[in-house]
Amino acid sequence: MKSWRRKSLWLALSASWLFLFLLGLPPLLRPAVPPRPLPGAPEGWPHWLDAELLPSYSQPGELPEDAAPPTRAPSGGGCNWGACFDPSQCRCGGLKVFVYPAAGPTSEIHHQILASLQRSRYHTFSPREACLLLFLSPDAPTGAPIPVPAQWDGGKNHLVLSLHPAPCPKTFQLGQAMVAEASPPVDTFRPGFDVALPCLPEAHPLQGGAPGQLRQHSPHPAETLLALAEERGGWRTVGTNSSACHWDGRCEQDLAPNQTLGRATLPRATFCLIPSHHSAASRFLQALQAGCVPVLLSPRWELPFSEVIDWTKAAIVADERLPVQVAAALQQMPPARVLALRQQTQFLWDAYFSSVEKIIHTTLEIIQDRISGVSAHPSLMWNNPPGALLALPTFSTSPQDYPFYHLQQGSRPMGGFSALIQVGASAQLPLKLIQAVAGSQHCAQVLILWSSERPPPPRGKWPETAVPLTVMEGHRKASDRFFPHSTINTDAILSLDAHCSLSTSEVDFAFVVWQNFPERMVGFLTMSHFWDSARGGWGYTAEKANEFSMVLTSAAFYHRYYHTLFTHSLPRALRTLADGAPGCVDVLLNFLVAAVTKLPPIKASGDPRPELQPPDPDCVNLMAAGFGHMPLVSSRLRLDPVLFKDPVSVLRKKYRSLEKP
Amino acid sequence: MCASVKYNIRGPALIPRMKTKHRIYYIALFSVVLLGLIATGVFQFWPHSIESASDWGVEKRSVRAVPVVRLPADSPIPERGDLSCRMHTCFDVYRCGFNPKNKIKVYIYPLKKYVDDSGAPVGTTLSREYNELLAAIADSDYYTDDIGRACLFVPSVDVLNQNALRVKETAQALAQLARWDRGMNHLLFNMLPGSPPDYNTALDVPRDRALLAGGGFSTWTYRQGYDVSIPVYSPLSVEVELPEKGPGARRYFLLSSQMGLHPEFREELEALQAKHGDAVMVLDKCTNLSEGVLAVRKRCHKHQVFDYPQVLQEATFCVVLRGARLGQAALSDVLQAGCVPVVIADSYILPFSEVLDWKRASVVVPEEKMSDTYSILQSIPQRQVEEMQRQARWFWEAYFRSIKAIALATLQIINDRIYPYAAISYEEWNDPPMVKWSSVSNPLFLPLIPPQSQGFTAIVLTYDRVESLFRVITEVSKVPSLSKLLVVWNNQNKNPPEESLWPKIRVPLKVVRTAENKLSNRFFPYNEIETEAVLAIDDDIIMLTSDELQFGYEVWREFPDRLVGYPGRLHLWDHEMNKWKYESEWTNEVSMVLTGAAFYHKYFNYLYTYKMPGDIKNWVDAHMNCEDIAMNFLVANVTGKAVIKVTPRKKFKCPECTAIDGLSLDQTHMVERSECINKFASVFGTMPLKVVEHRADPVLYKDDFPEKLKSFPNIGSL
Repeated sequence: MKSWRRKSLWLALSASWLFLFLLGLPPLLRPAVPPRPLPGAPEGWPHWLDAELLPSYSQPGELPEDAAPPTRAPSGGGCNWGACFDPSQCRCGGLKVFVYPAAGPTSEIHHQILASLQRSRYHTFSPREACLLLFLSPDAPTGAPIPVPAQWDGGKNHLVLSLHPAPCPKTFQLGQAMVAEASPPVDTFRPGFDVALPCLPEAHPLQGGAPGQLRQHSPHPAETLLALAEERGGWRTVGTNSSACHWDGRCEQDLAPNQTLGRATLPRATFCLIPSHHSAASRFLQALQAGCVPVLLSPRWELPFSEVIDWTKAAIVADERLPVQVAAALQQMPPARVLALRQQTQFLWDAYFSSVEKIIHTTLEIIQDRISGVSAHPSLMWNNPPGALLALPTFSTSPQDYPFYHLQQGSRPMGGFSALIQVGASAQLPLKLIQAVAGSQHCAQVLILWSSERPPPPRGKWPETAVPLTVMEGHRKASDRFFPHSTINTDAILSLDAHCSLSTSEVDFAFVVWQNFPERMVGFLTMSHFWDSARGGWGYTAEKANEFSMVLTSAAFYHRYYHTLFTHSLPRALRTLADGAPGCVDVLLNFLVAAVTKLPPIKASGDPRPELQPPDPDCVNLMAAGFGHMPLVSSRLRLDPVLFKDPVSVLRKKYRSLEKP
Repeated sequence: MCASVKYNIRGPALIPRMKTKHRIYYIALFSVVLLGLIATGVFQFWPHSIESASDWGVEKRSVRAVPVVRLPADSPIPERGDLSCRMHTCFDVYRCGFNPKNKIKVYIYPLKKYVDDSGAPVGTTLSREYNELLAAIADSDYYTDDIGRACLFVPSVDVLNQNALRVKETAQALAQLARWDRGMNHLLFNMLPGSPPDYNTALDVPRDRALLAGGGFSTWTYRQGYDVSIPVYSPLSVEVELPEKGPGARRYFLLSSQMGLHPEFREELEALQAKHGDAVMVLDKCTNLSEGVLAVRKRCHKHQVFDYPQVLQEATFCVVLRGARLGQAALSDVLQAGCVPVVIADSYILPFSEVLDWKRASVVVPEEKMSDTYSILQSIPQRQVEEMQRQARWFWEAYFRSIKAIALATLQIINDRIYPYAAISYEEWNDPPMVKWSSVSNPLFLPLIPPQSQGFTAIVLTYDRVESLFRVITEVSKVPSLSKLLVVWNNQNKNPPEESLWPKIRVPLKVVRTAENKLSNRFFPYNEIETEAVLAIDDDIIMLTSDELQFGYEVWREFPDRLVGYPGRLHLWDHEMNKWKYESEWTNEVSMVLTGAAFYHKYFNYLYTYKMPGDIKNWVDAHMNCEDIAMNFLVANVTGKAVIKVTPRKKFKCPECTAIDGLSLDQTHMVERSECINKFASVFGTMPLKVVEHRADPVLYKDDFPEKLKSFPNIGSL
């Protein structure tokens, strides 16, 4: 009895335990973290039980075989690049532009546009050679009907250019012609076919052009946040307390000082608000020049050169219906973005907009890019200094090959340097110089440019060098030395005159300096320019001075890209000019590099002691006239080795021969 | 639970003595009651059980079990899409409202099955891809389940493939959505538009103002800045794993792998093959495949059989021709294989062309020029081809790989239109990770020499060395370009001297008192700094001449994006210890300048205070050392440029400090500084410092030239 009782008791107990276990175990085995977000979070899209079984959206083989190509949509006056332009007429992928001579009397501006077109390297005088025929739309509507141009052919391969937003007198059908007009309405603009131009102020300089107004990278703490473009044409600056302001122009409750500026004054603010209507388009360039970041409220017009310029880097296109949000966003914008936007406005202004000539050349460059297809400028070149007009894609399509993009590409200049020694009329062999230069550990090759009437001496007369030595026959022109010879295979060129004397140490040091500044010229001998008020022109001197703006190419390092730029982008007139006057070619290359970099050259320590050619005083003035402005920038420093003439043992110094008194 | 178990054990003892028979019943009854109690407790207090219950109940449903909506034959149909729609005309931006995160909110309608009057479905309820797409949106930051707060609505009506739906009825289904409102702010995803025979290039379903993310737009149907062009997803992307293949020349120069090409196109391709031999390969579908082999995974040329898409990896360029539709799933396969697509489809809008730069990853050839394809491709330099191959693969990885990638890129594009000030940049969209990692975008990239008239602000950090501080102030005030002097008083226990005791100088002098004695106070972007140039100077640097300081400022003007300083230092790699070492000896190289006397742009103060990577700023404050090394790292990292050391070396120790400046102190100092370099290099993940061999001197320094004619004669004298 007792045992039975005990047994049943134990049985009941163990049964209850088992039961407990069974109940308690499953929840314990579940993962401690709930698989779904806690209640309160969005429920999300359900996880379907049969998600795996759902059919795919397209069944293989569903597409009809050998399907007929879709019939082309009826192009209701619509044109695109593939349909309405025939690039096969451009021989070797090169754009050639013929400009119709103006019919009847022309205005001064018209005449000058023609002149700047003719300065373009794409221009041709023969309509048969051209693959783009350019028709300048008259800037003032005349009563007389405009005759249809001779080679019109329905407008195929034609570009109708109208710089000023005067309504284009459409006396003849535009047909298949491309249109380049100022601030075209978004609705009629054909992307990739038409070209959007900026809306220009009446007195826009034709050449050169004023530089951007920005004087400092970051906004001054006291600078106002916003300026509003006013209907009448001025700007009104709004205090930093801008959130109290309505963007339709009402600012009654705004307590910050408001200031209305005249039509011609440029705004001084960090952001410039430009309303949506078409007439405000002309304010865009003003803001750009002033370094005031344009804030466009739902613009109804296409931004200039939008095909290639990434405007998100220089302007803000916002919705006009969200003014409060725009204001808040502007105020809260991170300083890094403001800084980048401000600088980009200046770069774009300077690269593409500051003169009529730049605008026209940019237009042609865009069309050339469309023709060249894969070898067009990459977006990087359009949107980074120095801009696409100064980066010739015929040189290379890889940005690493140019001197400007090493930072963005994370690359370095390639190879050592090629010494390019010009032997002039005297025909004296620069034996010592060759040995000094070839002795440098960075020297990749020595090239002799033989420019004498006498034939070069036979192979045996040249000194033995560790690096290859090549003799090239020149054409005895001063600009010869800046020709992009195919034998130059390093990024760096050391340009030398036969009669200068350099030590290996000097060459080594200057080359190491150049590697840090591949876009600039690094030289030893300097010149400086100055404004000669007595003569009312520029003057320049090679005397020793506290500052300099040019280095002589009789001994200087620079990037081989400048040879391409010198030969292919400079107007022929300037090169002819430089050929005529000795020493002028030096000035020209310095002008070119300064116009590209906007920076002074670099003087490295060293003294090559050549005979100085007497500079031609007119040269600088002629060049400045040719460029339309004075690009040279002065520097007040020289780069020396770190321990240069320091009171420490010479044995510790790397560049000892520079220590000579 | 433990307590109750004990209770249970003790249970029998508490029961009064009864007849054995009854006792058994009592025990049984008692245990049942007890167990019931315990079970209730477990259910009540176990948190998981409730969750899991809902998990079983609500979440896991079958697509076949979704509610059915019957559409009457006369229910309204939306108008056809308006070709002139733009964001500012057809999109209600007010719904997006103010949002500090600058993110749009996207709502997804619950899944319904739509049937017509007769009960026949209007289309596929849900395809696998559309399910993935909606799930991806729901998992993203854009998602909201609150229809009232949403700015963009995604119908769950599946229109990915127009062939799988009935146009009119689908339109009716759209029109009866709760917030349809003429399709305003609604986004439809479609990859296969059009139907035989003419195959429109945009979805035929009337959709009024709804945005269309479509695969296969042409220039005639694409509304620039409103619609989004998306890829046609290739289901092979998940089926086949193609490992990345390095760029370079491959077996075939040009390959065509598409099936079902128009005979005219095929003729042209075969003509190319005949002309250029083995370099060109034109494949077609296989005719004599054995049972069980998927036709889509094989391609044939004569009797040769190739695996698709693997064969694409054998080619440098791959043709993507239009078929009945402009958008082809083959584009995705080609990109995946790292083959450069040669797109021959006139007027086709490439996927995501609003943000992606297709020139970097593809070649577009007009149909008319198809016969010139070979020569066009031959003219591309090898370096550029390799770049394109890399770019093609990167585009696939980032934007084609999965339905999720496609969905998120589409939403990002719309988001960028609504919040343009927070938009993603061209580089972020287009640069492959490798380029992003190695490239530097200098924040002060504009070549701009600030006008001399602006001058500089000197900032003197001081604790209590008043006498020395006053000497520094007097010396610095002699520099012509000084425009303001700021004293940062870092001693909280002592007040700065009375105003009358300070040296009288010609420029404004301002004293800033700090809340805490921290080294980073030196680099705070004080509002008082009005100039761009800042001169940081220690309160014991009295040996610099006015000429040297003025020259330093002139040098800074020519290099406004760099640190321009006087004492230079170097970092070296210690091969024995395998780590970086700090060097202050007389070396031929420089990689840092001390900020005890240095000019720099005030923007770097902002960066130092707010954007210093990792914990460096706090680390420096805690260790009271190396703030200058941190600044050198920061500037070099963000600009990618070296420092400029100006003027010859000087003895830079204060006369009164030399006594205590023993050798041992020097050595611990060096060890500490080396530690700093190693610590910072690990935080930055790289060594940003750049080594140079030059310093800046005045043009005529030590030149044979009359001293009195030199601009900066008083340089380098001790």
